[in-house]
Amino acid sequence: MKSRFLFPHWCRFLGWGLVIAHVPMSIIGRANGMTNPLDQPLVNTTLFTGEHLFFICTTLVMALGLFIVAFSREKVEDEQIWQVRLDSLRWAIFINYLVLIASLVFVNDIAHLLELNLWVPLLFFIIRFRWVIFRLNSSLSREG
Amino acid sequence: MKNNIRVERAIKNITQGDLADQVAVSRQTINSIESNKYVPSTVLALKIARVFGKPVEDIFTLEDKD
Repeated sequence: MKSRFLFPHWCRFLGWGLVIAHVPMSIIGRANGMTNPLDQPLVNTTLFTGEHLFFICTTLVMALGLFIVAFSREKVEDEQIWQVRLDSLRWAIFINYLVLIASLVFVNDIAHLLELNLWVPLLFFIIRFRWVIFRLNSSLSREG
Repeated sequence: MKNNIRVERAIKNITQGDLADQVAVSRQTINSIESNKYVPSTVLALKIARVFGKPVEDIFTLEDKD
């Protein structure tokens, strides 16, 4: 089966690398007095300031990493994997909108809603997708 | 939808892995089809039937609930 619009399999490791790399960058930045622009009211709209670069190096690197992990090809990409992928995407969007609607009603913090939207669908997709693959593999090993 | 892939494999004496290689899917997919957890596409059903040299209706049969 031809799988278009997916990154090569090795990109999954690159993606996890980016997700892990954002942690020390975030710690070092915060230790040096940097703050996430989403944590404070928007006063300075200039691009590529220290704060904006810090945001790119942390939050965006993390989101990019999750994006690459989520859309990397499996070793054998067949029609069942496609169905699992599609199912997981549907669940991820479903959960994301539940979280979004609940947040819009009960939380008065629009800036953090954007941050939540950056990673909730991707993270939920990855968890659900990997969990189903894990269950498929374990049922395979049970049956020998 | 039921199938008798497991029986046909035993007759032909091939493993799940062999069948998976011949129809270019993973072993997990063949296992899921055999356990009736996954209904294959028409293309895959036809490919599987071709491996066993039988019409697709001999391998896959509809159930009353389908």
